Amino acid sequence: MASLSLRTSRHLATSTRTTAPWICQSCCQSRTFASSVSRNQQPPPPPSHQDPTQPPLPGTRQDDAPTHFGFSTIPSTLKASRVANVFSSVASSYDTMNDLMSLGIHRLWKDHFVRCLNPGIRPTGPAGLRSESTKEEGQRILDIAGGTGDIAQRMLDHATTVNKDMKTHVTISDINPEMLAEGRKRFAGSDYQLAGRVDFLEANAENLSTIPSNSIDLYTVAFGIRNFTHKDQALREAFRVLKPGGVFACLEFTPHLSNSVLDGLYKRWSFGAIPLIGQVVAGDRDSYQYLVESIERFPGQGEFRDMIKEAGFLVPGQEGGEGEKGGWEDLSLGIAAVHKGVKPV
Amino acid sequence: MSSTTALRTLLRTPASLRLLLLQTPRSTYHSYDHAEQPVYREAERTILSSALAHVPIHGFTQEALTLGAKDAGYLDISSNLFPKGTFDLVKYHLVSQRLGLKDRIQFPDENFGVGRKVRNLILERLRANVDTGIVTRWQEALAIMSLAENIPASLRELGALADEMWFLAGDTAVDASWYTKRASLSGIYAAAEIYQTTDQSTEYRDTEQFLDRRLEELRTVGGAVSGTLGWAGFQAGAMVNLLRSKGVMI
Repeated sequence: MASLSLRTSRHLATSTRTTAPWICQSCCQSRTFASSVSRNQQPPPPPSHQDPTQPPLPGTRQDDAPTHFGFSTIPSTLKASRVANVFSSVASSYDTMNDLMSLGIHRLWKDHFVRCLNPGIRPTGPAGLRSESTKEEGQRILDIAGGTGDIAQRMLDHATTVNKDMKTHVTISDINPEMLAEGRKRFAGSDYQLAGRVDFLEANAENLSTIPSNSIDLYTVAFGIRNFTHKDQALREAFRVLKPGGVFACLEFTPHLSNSVLDGLYKRWSFGAIPLIGQVVAGDRDSYQYLVESIERFPGQGEFRDMIKEAGFLVPGQEGGEGEKGGWEDLSLGIAAVHKGVKPV
Repeated sequence: MSSTTALRTLLRTPASLRLLLLQTPRSTYHSYDHAEQPVYREAERTILSSALAHVPIHGFTQEALTLGAKDAGYLDISSNLFPKGTFDLVKYHLVSQRLGLKDRIQFPDENFGVGRKVRNLILERLRANVDTGIVTRWQEALAIMSLAENIPASLRELGALADEMWFLAGDTAVDASWYTKRASLSGIYAAAEIYQTTDQSTEYRDTEQFLDRRLEELRTVGGAVSGTLGWAGFQAGAMVNLLRSKGVMI
């Protein structure tokens, strides 16, 4: 109990907000259950003031143009560090918290995500054995925002046990060293670590300069892209690093369920229970409040599909190639969705 | 049309109809004046058609799809372009053969009856299964199509094929027989196709005879049904007239 309260106070100290004029003050104060639910219905708060010293130029991207952090509005330059704070504080309890918040369903989503991607190269040949003449390399998988390594673990398990592929390699990338440390802990001493099939990279997904172009078979990002400051930039970077024919795959929450009654119930759960569970279990309400707010701010399925298309990808599952329908897969009535894109040859 | 003209047209339209103009021009009917939009994108078409070439050896499997992707210059993982996997491969065969049917068969002779045209169309469509070499594996495809999640799409495709055949046969009926014609043709085609998968005879002569028997049955049953209905209608009319003659106010 003492450690719990200690952690709470430490987090409160780190998350004390700066009182800069471009922060919407009303949104940052008093995060209580009741106010959160009613705020859910409101339009996004506009930035109250622009920084007077740097007026935004029309048509160019301002580096400190206001962006959203949950329901608050902050300059883009600050978002990465604020997100980093959130995930540093939740890293140790991240997997436990996911179980509690999604009632364990996130495991099913991740299993399905990996199974439908089918990573790994199945050996070909008459006896079902990989012929030595065809020099197979295995796939290169890049798991962005994969800190704790649960997606990477599933990828390697699937490749090894289902496709009998002993060479496929996963790079776990995360912007946050503390989340990566959780991943290192998971793989420490495992067969995959010993076989050199997994490595770790601390990088910002918007600038993967250490990864050469056209070098990755499969780029995955599960429950991560909503925290990126410039999602379009991250998508373009994904397009760059993927080989022609490579696949971009994203598992992410959706802001609204298609059924409005269920949506209301789900919003009650997410805005009421999740910050509360965060407070009780992880001793950190604000980080989990951010989590549910960031889900609310993520673009809807159709909008995100169009963003993927804009980056140059072919979106699977669309009748007639173009149009307004389809192009993603809803999970659990649309609480989460799988988006894919294939880089054309 | 330039964007300003398009905008002007849009603004001139009544507000309630504007939505129709904004939608992508994709008709649900056959147009003689406009070319059909392609159903598949270039990348999908190349991968799926090269995957079909692997079907005689590997069957309708994920492996055929992967090999097809590799042949087309894509990667193993690129088969993710097809969310339904093997069913997308089956559907590609169905769609491409349905759309290709009009090029496979011509009716220069105008005295060909609609019935004979339909028979030739069915045979031609069945021959397409043989020509592409997938007929030996077609039972796998039928199994995939009969999975619960694929049944709606499979039936829609069967209906579209029946519709295409009646259209090519030159049938222009717009009465209730529009439905019965498509339903009976769908049934006959599906039965003939299942028969074809087990046919061992040379050049699928047994399938042809099977088809002829089914069409003959349809003619007999159709004749009997219309005869019965005609007789019942006459009897009903006669009964009404009889009652009227007896002073009943009908």
